[in-house]
Amino acid sequence: MTAHFVDLLDDLRRRSLRMASLVEDMLHESCEALLEANAGLARRILERDRDVDTEEVAVEAEVIRLLALYQPVGFDLRLLCTVLKVNNDLERIADCAVNVAERARHLDARALTSLYKDLEQMGPIVKNMLRNAVKAFGEASVDDAQRVFHDEDAVDALYGQIIRRVVADAPASPALVAAFLDALSVAKNLERIADHATNIAEDVVYLCTGKIVRHHSNA
Amino acid sequence: MNEVSDQPRRERNVPPIPAMQVPASRRQTSEPHPPEPVLRTENLTIQYGRFAAVKNVTMEVSARRVTAIIGPSGCGKSTLLRAMNRMNDFVTGASVEGRLFYCGEDIYRAGFDPVELRLRIGMVFQKPNPFPKSIFKNVAWGPAINGFRGSIEELVEQALRQAALWDEVKDKLHDSAYALSGGQQQRLCIARAIAMQPDVLLMDEPCSALDPIATARIEDLIDQLKSQYTVVLVTHNMQQAARVSDRTAFMYMGELIEVGDTAVIFTMPGEQRTQDYITGRFG
Repeated sequence: MTAHFVDLLDDLRRRSLRMASLVEDMLHESCEALLEANAGLARRILERDRDVDTEEVAVEAEVIRLLALYQPVGFDLRLLCTVLKVNNDLERIADCAVNVAERARHLDARALTSLYKDLEQMGPIVKNMLRNAVKAFGEASVDDAQRVFHDEDAVDALYGQIIRRVVADAPASPALVAAFLDALSVAKNLERIADHATNIAEDVVYLCTGKIVRHHSNA
Repeated sequence: MNEVSDQPRRERNVPPIPAMQVPASRRQTSEPHPPEPVLRTENLTIQYGRFAAVKNVTMEVSARRVTAIIGPSGCGKSTLLRAMNRMNDFVTGASVEGRLFYCGEDIYRAGFDPVELRLRIGMVFQKPNPFPKSIFKNVAWGPAINGFRGSIEELVEQALRQAALWDEVKDKLHDSAYALSGGQQQRLCIARAIAMQPDVLLMDEPCSALDPIATARIEDLIDQLKSQYTVVLVTHNMQQAARVSDRTAFMYMGELIEVGDTAVIFTMPGEQRTQDYITGRFG
């Protein structure tokens, strides 16, 4: 029975990582769509989101099934809790990637030179955060999780910078207000993805150490 | 719009990550202000002939808490439990080294009265073992032969109520105890132990012979009893240990591997052997 349960846990973890890989691809392509103004790419991302939604429900159902049937404890319990939470964050990241892609269909970021440069910088950092978060989850690595935390400050700084630019520049260019709002929305979604990647990293810390580090500054 | 802010949406001040490997020292994870220990072992070793069933165990049992002892068969948990009221005295070839304190007194010192000890530390066994007498006499017998003064009827009722059995037997107190179901017989044995007004109840797999409903009743009872008694429970059922105990001790091959708060032992044990056992990797 135990060997069977261990196999089921391994299958679930692999399934969750496959979903993470799919979401990573979506984020990569949404950034490409943004920079290339590629409408075809944006449509493909929308289709992938449906796969992610289906997979999210399936993974959640499997976690609930294993909790009910095997009543795991120790590392097994922490792993199932982590898979459940990571599953939710991955689905939300996919939604944010869709939002970025949808904006990319309309946004001519090149019309907003300075904002475009900020978004160009933000994308790779966010992608790197997600990559490290997924790697941390896959390898149960606290070191990789730590790298995610360090990158979040850079994303927040860029997001703040974008907001300040919009506030400063938009009044002088009323014809570009829609473009400014699109750029702001893209920045907001990238910042949300960074938050979700950080959530995943925090869950990996719990998986490895049993410590809940979320909201630690408020504790 | 709420979603647009000049500041990052939230500040994260992530603390340094603690090391993944918990130090190998046996952890005594505990409440901030744990109650005084009622029982305490110091380097306790128990041998049957040349075989050491319990090896150099040092641990504390807190007052009015449920302490579960878990571990695979033959790990020494029942031997340790029986040592707590000197039941091993009846086992030929059993010998004890180290010390075991009850309320600060070494119960293995020369001249200590084990009979007096067993009045203070009661025991409930794996299989219900009522006397071949009536329900009433099962509960009344111990206090009566130990010179109880007062209303024996009241004492019996109180014990049966505490054992959550009164409502089921109040109209047939003079029927044979053997007429009760297995779960009722076990609660009768608990009532019999409670009637002696002990400090500590030792329970050696008290639910292993019971069905799930009777088990649930005994578990509820244990939860109620801990407000007045210190309970030490040996169990093979890890879910039961997790459900009913405040602290859990894991033993393996005679050694105490780890003892700590049950919630910690079952989510983040400090020792790999504990992790492997509770997740069914061995044992």
